[in-house]
Amino acid sequence: MSEAKEQILNLKHLKKSYGNHQVLRDISFNVNKGEIVTIIGPSGGGKSTTLRCINLLEEPTGGEIDFHGKNILAPNFNRNIYRAKVGMVFQQFNLFENKNVLENCMVGQELVLKRSKKEAHDIALTNLKTVGMGAYINAKPQQLSGGQQQRVAIARTVSMNPEVLLFDEPTSALDPEMVGDVLDAMKKLAKAGFTMIMVTHEMAFARDISDEILFINDGVIAEKGAPEQIFNHPKEKVTQKFLHNFKRNEL
Amino acid sequence: MKSRFKWVTAIIAVLVSLIIGFNFNNQQTLAAKKDPNVLKIGMEANYPPYNWTQTNNANGAIPIEGSHTYANGYDVKIANIIGKRLGRKVVVVKTEWDGLLPALTSGKIDLIIAGMSPTAQRRKAINFSKPYRQGTFVVLTKNSSKYANAKTLNDFKGAKLTAQQGTVHYELIKQLKGAHREPAMRDFAAMRQSLISGTIDGYVAENTEAESLKMVYPNAKAITISKMPGFHVSKDESTTSIGIDKKNKQLLNDVNKILATIPNNKRNKLMSQAVRQQPNSGNSTSKGAKKENWIVSTVKQYGGMIIGGVGMTLLLALVGTIIGFIIGLLVSIVRTIPTPSTRYKNWLLNFIKWLLSVYVEIFRGTPMMVQAAAIYYGIAQFWHINLNRTVAALFIVSINTGAYLAEVIRGGITSTPEGQFEAASALGMTHTQSMWHIILPQAIKNCLPSITNEFIVNIKDTSVLSIISVSELFFVGSTIASQTFQFFPTYLMISVIYLVLTFTVTEIFNFIEKKLIGDKNYNLNTNQIQVSTAKDAGANN
Ligand SMILES: Nc1ncnc2c1ncn2[C@@H]1O[C@H](COP(=O)(O)OP(=O)(O)O)[C@@H](O)[C@H]1O
Ligand SMILES: [Mg+2]
Repeated sequence: MSEAKEQILNLKHLKKSYGNHQVLRDISFNVNKGEIVTIIGPSGGGKSTTLRCINLLEEPTGGEIDFHGKNILAPNFNRNIYRAKVGMVFQQFNLFENKNVLENCMVGQELVLKRSKKEAHDIALTNLKTVGMGAYINAKPQQLSGGQQQRVAIARTVSMNPEVLLFDEPTSALDPEMVGDVLDAMKKLAKAGFTMIMVTHEMAFARDISDEILFINDGVIAEKGAPEQIFNHPKEKVTQKFLHNFKRNEL
Repeated sequence: MKSRFKWVTAIIAVLVSLIIGFNFNNQQTLAAKKDPNVLKIGMEANYPPYNWTQTNNANGAIPIEGSHTYANGYDVKIANIIGKRLGRKVVVVKTEWDGLLPALTSGKIDLIIAGMSPTAQRRKAINFSKPYRQGTFVVLTKNSSKYANAKTLNDFKGAKLTAQQGTVHYELIKQLKGAHREPAMRDFAAMRQSLISGTIDGYVAENTEAESLKMVYPNAKAITISKMPGFHVSKDESTTSIGIDKKNKQLLNDVNKILATIPNNKRNKLMSQAVRQQPNSGNSTSKGAKKENWIVSTVKQYGGMIIGGVGMTLLLALVGTIIGFIIGLLVSIVRTIPTPSTRYKNWLLNFIKWLLSVYVEIFRGTPMMVQAAAIYYGIAQFWHINLNRTVAALFIVSINTGAYLAEVIRGGITSTPEGQFEAASALGMTHTQSMWHIILPQAIKNCLPSITNEFIVNIKDTSVLSIISVSELFFVGSTIASQTFQFFPTYLMISVIYLVLTFTVTEIFNFIEKKLIGDKNYNLNTNQIQVSTAKDAGANN
């Protein structure tokens, strides 16, 4: 199984500050091909910032991020091609409001990957069907519920054939009855073998699906390990406290 | 930091304007290239009996450049004599009073024959021929006015008097002790209207104006002030001469030689001819046995002109808004480019952004009327380019609209949710791609109400372009009003036309906006039916 060990992303001592406010102090971890890494932790701990640094929506202020062994922060690194290979699903969906569902899933393929209209159309349609949105291809984002929009956003990201998928709390902005559909769609992607890094508060889901859990608090990885270990036998006090509070809120 | 930047920009804008201003003064002007067989005469064509506009070429009227109308009057009759002797075809360039001198020095016209007095002030800028008319000054008032029997200069105490802007007449009011000198007016049409409606007690003019006014307004009363004791006026100011550019000594000699051959009795004959021929529909309707409906007769006589005016106004507003929109789009795109990586590019970009903000500040901070006058006459004087009036007007409206829309569209861009930029760059789109495909379509849609509004403002505001004599709707309206002396009805009619135009445009754009916003709900059924029928059709094949 040498293939499963192929390293895709490697974060080395990643740091990020806004002015004097150091948000990420030292974040290091690896992601191998096909692996699913889930980041949990309290609000404001730096989870989103970590994801946003990985796809360069934020410029890291220190450390290094290697993609297949190449430093993405090097000056001559082609960022746009890299971004197409690292897909991102946002908490607020961010569907293009001037485009319908199908166009949302085609525009990136045509402009960035230079695919033909026909090819882009077919790929988009396949992915929309996978997430259960095949009937809505002509709808505008404003006409859809949050859960539907998020599934379209997933199809849009997947249509770029990314090597890594980043999810930043994809279900946090949804009404509870919508959450299931989105998690189902993500499960399908996991089964299909996608490499994923996600931030979520859906603990049961995370435990089911993840290979590794990172607990990020106050800009550092306080604890990491297999789901079974983190959820059942957390070593660190902060982790225990977080999970304890979390369970109490769930009930 | 930001506010300081704004200040610097504002100060630079002022400096740039000043530098341009100084250059105007210093520049020794060269006449722009033109046809040597044509003699271009500048006049208001709105100052009967010296000059006026008419719709046909009756009584030896000559065409007005860039329109289907004709000019006639004492000035035109003199111009015809000069043209014939010089062997040049005479064309009238209809020009606002304040535009006459710059038009001459910038080479847009060859001669000013416009009932103009050769004052010392004007002699600094241009040369004048020997006089072609000796004037007597009068105060025009109504028979019913309490000043109608004034005998001395002091009898006008308390009277509200005015005269044409920039004329000797206006200065003369100072000699009428105790009279209130009201703000000067732009043309005789306005003064006549003010007198008749009672907003002024009288205005100072020459005796020829008295004859003209009496023909259309029999209640007018002219009081000669030239002979009143204590009245003083220099010879320059009581005569009327032809203006010629200082560099054109040859033409000055020729004109003087020709004028010398026109004796006084011939001049008087021409003037009384002009007084008789001047448009006086007010007179004819009062005499007419059957009064034709005013609107019907006006439309009959001036319908073509009005339609032309509407067309010109719409053309200026529409093309100006479209080109302005494109300018605004480009400017706002450049102004939202993110900071590039290399220092040199960064410096260059900041410089360009700064230039663009200077442009926006200047054109938003000055009235379009001033821009029009400065650009139209300035370009001729600076670069010796004789712009076509319509082209100049289009240019001015476009560049002015561009400055406004640049700010509007920039606002639209910055108010597009950050998530839209982020999603686009997360897909790997370049800045340009996300701009064109994602951000601008949304920003423009959000700005559509402001763009519509700008279009409507343009329909109305192009009226200020009458300063460069573009025959848009308002200019046509003033021309008709001054010919028919039906001020209120004419301007009322013009207002109604403006209202219809703006209302229609508003409705059209409301409709477009509604279409663009689309349905709030997605009708799954209709869409599924479409999908399944398409499938059925496919299956049948
Ligand atoms: N653009 C920004 N400017 C300044 N501070 C920021 C910015 N974005 C995030 N932060 C700060 O960084 C910290 C971590 O934020 P974030 O990564 O969003 O946390 P999480 O996703 O774990 O809730 C927070 O304290 C937040 O206030
Ligand atoms: Mg977050």
